[in-house]
Amino acid sequence: VGSGPGYGFSGQGTSQSTVALMGVAPKILDLEAPPPTINLPTGSSITESPYANCDPSYKRSTLNAIPNTSQLLQKSRLPFGLVITPYRSVKEGDAPVPVVTDSIIARCRRCRTYINPYVKFVEGGRRWKCNMCYTLNQVPSSFDYDPETQQPVDRWQRKELNHAVVEYIAPTEYMVRPPQPLVYLFLIDVSYPAVQCGMVATAATTILESLDRIPNDEGRTKIGIITIDSSIHFYKLSSAAAEPQMFVVSDLDEPFLPQPQDLLCNLKECRPTLEALLNRMSDMFKDTQIIGNALGPALQAAYKMVAPIGGKVLCLQASLPNLGSGALKMREDPKLLGTSKESTLLQAASSFYKTMAVDCSKSQVCVDMFLFGSQYSDVATLSCLPRYTGGSTFFYPAFTAAKSEDALKFAHELAEFLSQRIALEALMRIRASKGVRMSAFYGNFFVRSTDLLALPNVPRDQSYSIEVSYEENLNIPVVCFQTGLLHTSASGERRIRVLTLALPVTSSLSELYASADQVAIATLLANKAVERGRSAKLDDARDALTNKMVDILGVYKTHMTASSSGATPNLQISDNLKLLPLLTLGMLKHVALRGGSQIPSDLRSYAMYLFSTLPSQCLISYINPKFYSLHNMPGNCGTIGENGIEMPVSMNLSSERLERGGLFMLEDSQNIFLWVSKDAVPQLCMDLFGVPNYESIRGGKTTLPALETDFNQRVNLIVGKTREMRRTPYYPQLYVIKEDGDPALRLWFLSHLIEDRADPIMSYHQYLGHLKDKVNSGSF
Amino acid sequence: MNFEEIEDQDGIRFSFNAWPSSRAEATKAVVPIAALYTPLKEREDLPLIYYEPVTCKQHTCGAILNPYCQIDPRGKLWICPFCLHRNQFPPHYRDISNTNLPAELLAKHTTIEYTLARSAQVPPIFLYVVDTCVDDDDLKALKDSLVVSLSLLPPHALVGLITYGTMAQVHELGYSECPKSYVFRGNKEYTSKQIQDMLGLSAMAARPQQPARPGQPGQPAQFVPSGNARFLLPVQQCEYTLSSVLEQLQRDPWPVATDRRPLRCTGVAMSVAIGLLEATYQNTGGRIMLFVGGAATEGPGMVVGPELKEPIRSHHDIEKENAKHYKKSSKFYDALAKRASTNGHVVDIFGGCLDQVGLLEMKSMVNSTGGFIILSDSFTTAIFKQSFQKMFEKDAEGNLKMGFNATLAVQTTKELRICGLIGHAVSADKKTASVGETEIGIGNTSAWKMCGVSPKSTEAVYFEVVSQPGQALQPGSRGLIQFVTHYQHSSGHFKLRVTTVARSWVEGGSPVVAQSFDQETAAVLMARIAVFKAEIDDGPDVLRWLDRMLIRLCQQFADFRKDEPQSFRLSENFSIYPQFMFHLRRSQFLQVFNNSPDETAYYRHVLNREDVNNSLIMIQPTLMSHGFDTQPEPVLLDSISIKPDTVLLLDTFFYILIFHGETIAAWRKAGYQDQAGYENFKELLEAPVASSQELLVERFPIPRYIVCDQNGSQARFLLSKLNPSTTHTSGGQYGAAPTGAAIFTDDVSLQVFMEHLKNGSGQKRQ
Ligand SMILES: [Zn+2]
Ligand SMILES: [Zn+2]
Repeated sequence: VGSGPGYGFSGQGTSQSTVALMGVAPKILDLEAPPPTINLPTGSSITESPYANCDPSYKRSTLNAIPNTSQLLQKSRLPFGLVITPYRSVKEGDAPVPVVTDSIIARCRRCRTYINPYVKFVEGGRRWKCNMCYTLNQVPSSFDYDPETQQPVDRWQRKELNHAVVEYIAPTEYMVRPPQPLVYLFLIDVSYPAVQCGMVATAATTILESLDRIPNDEGRTKIGIITIDSSIHFYKLSSAAAEPQMFVVSDLDEPFLPQPQDLLCNLKECRPTLEALLNRMSDMFKDTQIIGNALGPALQAAYKMVAPIGGKVLCLQASLPNLGSGALKMREDPKLLGTSKESTLLQAASSFYKTMAVDCSKSQVCVDMFLFGSQYSDVATLSCLPRYTGGSTFFYPAFTAAKSEDALKFAHELAEFLSQRIALEALMRIRASKGVRMSAFYGNFFVRSTDLLALPNVPRDQSYSIEVSYEENLNIPVVCFQTGLLHTSASGERRIRVLTLALPVTSSLSELYASADQVAIATLLANKAVERGRSAKLDDARDALTNKMVDILGVYKTHMTASSSGATPNLQISDNLKLLPLLTLGMLKHVALRGGSQIPSDLRSYAMYLFSTLPSQCLISYINPKFYSLHNMPGNCGTIGENGIEMPVSMNLSSERLERGGLFMLEDSQNIFLWVSKDAVPQLCMDLFGVPNYESIRGGKTTLPALETDFNQRVNLIVGKTREMRRTPYYPQLYVIKEDGDPALRLWFLSHLIEDRADPIMSYHQYLGHLKDKVNSGSF
Repeated sequence: MNFEEIEDQDGIRFSFNAWPSSRAEATKAVVPIAALYTPLKEREDLPLIYYEPVTCKQHTCGAILNPYCQIDPRGKLWICPFCLHRNQFPPHYRDISNTNLPAELLAKHTTIEYTLARSAQVPPIFLYVVDTCVDDDDLKALKDSLVVSLSLLPPHALVGLITYGTMAQVHELGYSECPKSYVFRGNKEYTSKQIQDMLGLSAMAARPQQPARPGQPGQPAQFVPSGNARFLLPVQQCEYTLSSVLEQLQRDPWPVATDRRPLRCTGVAMSVAIGLLEATYQNTGGRIMLFVGGAATEGPGMVVGPELKEPIRSHHDIEKENAKHYKKSSKFYDALAKRASTNGHVVDIFGGCLDQVGLLEMKSMVNSTGGFIILSDSFTTAIFKQSFQKMFEKDAEGNLKMGFNATLAVQTTKELRICGLIGHAVSADKKTASVGETEIGIGNTSAWKMCGVSPKSTEAVYFEVVSQPGQALQPGSRGLIQFVTHYQHSSGHFKLRVTTVARSWVEGGSPVVAQSFDQETAAVLMARIAVFKAEIDDGPDVLRWLDRMLIRLCQQFADFRKDEPQSFRLSENFSIYPQFMFHLRRSQFLQVFNNSPDETAYYRHVLNREDVNNSLIMIQPTLMSHGFDTQPEPVLLDSISIKPDTVLLLDTFFYILIFHGETIAAWRKAGYQDQAGYENFKELLEAPVASSQELLVERFPIPRYIVCDQNGSQARFLLSKLNPSTTHTSGGQYGAAPTGAAIFTDDVSLQVFMEHLKNGSGQKRQ
C-alpha cells in the first residue's frame, strides 16, 4: 500500500475498513449515510467557517480524495466525476444560499475564478493568490473599507470567504441585455385524443388555479397560450379587450404569427382575459373531431413568439404529432424490443427536435414536455427538446382525467412546476485547479463550448453529471472545482451562483478507495449507462456496468486485500463502497436498462430521462426503492415526532420480507405501492381501507380514504411524507397491490424487489457470485 | 316610332329598327344591328306568370312560346318561329283558342316574367371583405356603414366577414366561445385546395392519420363540419356577433415604417374570399363585397410596392411598360375573376381612398361578375355611405333589387346571327345556330353569364345579317330575337324574363332603314365598341376607327354633292350623332391621360352598365341654364353658354355641378340672397340645387356634387366638358368679341370637327 509523497495529510481521519459482501444482506440503511469525509490539510481554507466546503446536495465528487496522477486513477478503475445540482430547492429548514449584495465580485484576472475560501492572501493582504491558476490578484479595496459609510470593514466576514455556496447579485457587465422576464408559453394539444382523455380540461383548470403561484415578483411575467390540432391557434390576450381573440393558422408549411403583439400578455394586466380563456378552454374544443396534431409547426411559431425575449415553452401533448415539420410515426415495434436494435427506438426519430433545440438554446428558449399517451408517445424523440434546452419532461402513460388519481398527479406536478422559482438564461461553467479538466457532460443542457453549458432554464433540483480527466500530474495538496452559474433569478435579478468544492490530493490507492462516494459513483454510472444505452446497445450499457463493478472489486482484491492473487472465497470492498454492487444490480434490473422484450420504449425512455436528471437524493431510491413493513411498524411510525413524521425503517428488497397477512409499502420516488397479503385480517382492511375484508379491497391506482382510525391516519401520513420528502416536483401515485390480484400489477411490484431472483436476472447473491467469478478470472 | 316607349315595354333599344335584308346591305349601314337590352328593367305592369314556360321541343332550339308564334288552336299546335318546329301544346293548354290565349301569347306581352317552381336552396350570400389598413376615421365610418348594412339585408341572407391588412382573416361567426378567425399570410399565393383545407372545409383536413382500428371505443365518426355553419350565417342569427366583431375591428396592428405604405394583401384576401364561397356555395347567388382603402402592397395581386418612394403606376407608366407589377397583378385578378364568375359569385369593389386602389388591375373581378364599383375619396364621404346603402334598395315586396347568377340566352331567326355582347358578363360558352362568325365583344356564344344583375344592368348585344342578297324577301317578313334571362331573385325564386322582339326586313337601299335609325342608341353602342377596343388597342387607333366609322356613316346616310362640303345635310334622326361622336372622342372614356388608370377603369365600368339615357349623359353631359325671368333651359355644351348672370347646372353623370356666372357669384358672396327684396335672386340660386336633387334620386352611384363660381378653381370641372368654340387661340375668329368664356385647350372645337367631317364625307366613297 503506497502512501502520499509527504504532504503530511494522507490517511488522516479515513478509517480504512474492508467488508465482505457475500453471505450477508446488504446494509441498505447506509444508503442514507453521508459521503466519506473530505479531509483537507489544515489551513486549506482561509477561514474557519464550517461552510467553507460544498454541501453534497449541491455538488459532490465520486472521489473525496483525488489521485495525484492519472496513472493512479487508471489503476484504481474508480470513475472520477462530479454530480452537480446547482439549483436545488430550498425547503423549510434548509439553509438559504448566502447572497453577496454589494456587487463587489473579486475574480482572478487570469482564469476568472471567483474568490473563495481556498485562495491565499499575500503581501500583507493586499493581493490574493488564485487557487486554480496561482495568479496574484489585487484585493478590492472595498474588502476592507466601505467607501459609502467611510468605515473600515472586516474582510473575514465576507460571505464568499466563508461559504462554498454563495450567490452574487451581478452588476450590469454580466448582462448583455436587461434581465429576462419570466415567460410561460403553453402549447396545448387540443386534438380529439387530448380532449377525450381530459388533459385539456385538467390543464386549463390547473393553469388557471396556478396563476397566483407563478413567480411574478416584479409584475413582468408574461403568459401566452397556443392550442394545437391540425391548425395552430393563437390567442390575443390584450388587456384592452374583454375576451380573448382566437386566431387559427393552418399554414403548416410556413407557420407565422398572426399578430405582432399581445399574443404574450402580461400576467397581471391581462389576467381577466387570460382567466376567461382558461375558463372556456375545455368547452371550446369539447366537440372536436380533429385527430391531427401539428406540434412541429406550432413549435416553430412558438419560437418566433418567444425568441425575442427568451422563455419557457410548455408543451402539453396527448397525441403523436403527425402534421408538418417534426411529424412522427408510430414506430414502436415489439419485434425490436430486447434486440440490439432496441436502441434505435430510444434515439430521436427526427432531427427536427434536436435542430429546434439548438435554435431554442441560442435564444434562451426552454422547452418542457408533458406527454400523455394512450398509445405511443415517442418520448425518446420529444424529450430531445427539453434535453438540450434545460427543460423537463413529464410522462403520463394511459392518462385519463376520469381517474381522479391521474388528474390529481398531473395537476399537482404541473402546479408545482409552474410555481418553481426557476433560473433563466443561464450559463454554467466549471473551473478546476490546473491539471484536471471536465471531459464529458450528462444532463439537460447544450454544451456551447468545451466547458460552457447553456441552460435557457435551470429548473429546480435537476442534476448534472460531469466526468473529470487529467491533463497533468497534480503536485498540489488541494484541488478545487468551482461551478459558476450565471443566471437571471425568478425575481428578475442577474445573479451568479458559485459552488466551490475543495478536495485533497492523494497518492494512496487505499485512501482513494476509502474516500470514494458510492452514491455519486452510482449517479455518474447511471448517466453513463443511459448514454451508452441510447447511443450504442443496451447490452453494452449493462456489460459496462458489470465490468466496472468487476474492475473495482478486482482492483480492491488485488491491491487492498491479503488475497491479492488467486481465488478468494468472498468479495471484499471498502466499507464506503459496499452498496455499489447492490446499486449496480438495481440499475441492471431497472426499467431504464433491464433486458428483455417486455418494456415499451416510451417507458424505458422516460426512465432513462429520470436517470439523467434526478438528483442523487431521488435517484438512489429510484434505483433501490424504499420498502417498509406497515402492519407491524413501531407505534411512533406515522406519527409526528421531533423531526417531523416518523418513517418506518426500510428493509431489504426481498420477497422474503413479505410476511403472511402483512401490509407493505414500497416506493421508488415515482410510485408508491401498498402490498396487501391475501391473508390480511379484516381488522386491517377495515382500519386502513374502510372495507370489511380483503376481498373488498380494490387493487390498482387508488386514493387511500381518510378514516378516523389510528392506522389509517398513520399510513396516510407516511404516504404524504413520501410524496413530499424529496426535492422534485413529482407526485408519486399510489397503487394497491393485492397478493392475488391483477398479475401485471403484482409482477410490476415484485420487479422492484431487486435482491430477489427474477428470471432471467440474478438475485443479489447470484450477482455477487457472478462478480466473484469474474474477479477471480481477471487480472487487475 | 317611339324608341322610348319600346324601351319602357321591353327594356330594349336598337340601333336600327328596320333591318336591311342582306349581309351586304347591312354592312353598308356601318353601325351594326345591335341592341341595348336591360333584362331586369323595372316595369309596373310587367306580366308576372306563375307557371312554367312552354318551350320548343326541337332539341337544339328550346325557344319559349311567345306572341310571335303561330298557333293552331284546333290541332293544339304551335310553330316555333326560330326553328319552325311544330310543337304540341301541353295538355293543360287544351282549352286554347284565338279568344282564349295564355298570357305569353298576347301580342302586348312581348316581355313577360315567369316565376319558376324551383327556388334556390340557399338565400343570397353577402361576404364582406374589409381592408383594415385605413385611418381610424375611415375605419370607424366604414364599420358604421357595414353595421347599418346588416339591417338592410334580408334576415335570412347569409353573411360572412373577411378582414385584411398585412394578413387576411376569415372570421368564424358561428363560434360562440370567443371571437375567432382563420389567418392567412398576406404574401403567399394559396391554391383553392389549400384555402379549403386551411379553413377545414374539405374532408382531407380532418382525416385521421392512423387508420382507426375497428371496434376501438371512443373513435369518433368522421364528421366534416360544414363550412357554411361556421363562416356564413343567416344575418338574423349572427347579427350580434358580427356587429361586435365589426365594432371591435382595429386598424391593422403591424407596424409601418414612415417611409413605407402599410402592407395590404388585397389579393390574398380576395383569393380566400373566392375560395371560401367556391368551397361552400358554388352556383348559389352571392356577393363578395370588397372594401378597399388603398392599393395592394403585399403578396399576389400587389399593385405597388410598399416603399413610398415607388409611385403607383400611371397611364404613362403602363404605356411605356414601366409599371412593374401591372401585368402580373392583372393576371392574378383576372384568374380570380374567372373563378368567381365560374362559381356564380358577384364581386363588388368599394374604394375609399384619395389615391388609387388598384381598380385597373382588379376591374375584371367586377366586370365579369356584374358587380358594382363605388369609388370615393374616403369611407367618410356621402358618396360612399349613400351609394352603399342604395345598393340595398328594395322593391315593393321588400326584396333586394338584385338578381343573382343570371344567364342571358339569345336566340335569333335564321337570317340573323349573334356577334357578341359588351357588358358585365362572361361567355356561357353556348354554341348554337344563332352564333355568327363576326365577333364583337364577348362572342362565339349565344348565352352569357351575369353573376349579378340589377334592374339597371344594360347589355349591348350585336348582330349580323347573314342572308345573301337576291334571296326573295317575303312581304312583311320579320326577324325575331328572343332574350331569355334566367336568374335567382333575391327572394330565392328562380325567374325567367323573356323578351321577344320582331323587326321588319327591308330591301337594301330602302329609306326605311335610315328612318329607323336610333342615333342615341347607336352612339352608345359604338361607344361600347370603342371602349372595348380601347381596352385592347392603342388609344389613337380607336379614335381613327371612330372617325372612319363616322365618315362612312355620313357617306352612307348624309345628303351632299360631291366635293361640295356646304351641301352636306343630315336628316333629323342622324343630326346629332356626329356631336355624340365628337364628345365621345373627347370623353374620359377615350382620352385617358387626364385621369388615373383607376378612374379610367371606373368610368368604363359604368358606361358598360348603364342604359342609353345615362350613357349619353356620360358621353355628352347635359347643361341647363338658369337665369332671371326665364325658365331653366338646356343650353349648348359650349363655352358660349357661360354667362355672368346665369347659373349653370352640369350633369356628367359622375358629377353634378352648379356654376355661378361672375355676377351671380359676386352677389352671392355679398349675401344678397339673404336680404329682403332679393327673393328672386334667392330663388335663382335655389332652383338649380332643387333640380340637382331630382337628378340624385335615381343616380347610382351617387355623383359628386360640386358648387363653383366662374373663375374659381373648381370651375375647371365645367370647362373640361365644354366645347371649346372660344379658346385662347380663337379670339375674334368671327370678327366679334367672344361672347362666352375662353377655354384654355388645344382641342378642336365641334365646329372645326364638323368641317373636317363634311370634307371627309365629301370625298370619294371607299
Ligand atoms: Zn486564476
Ligand atoms: Zn324552336
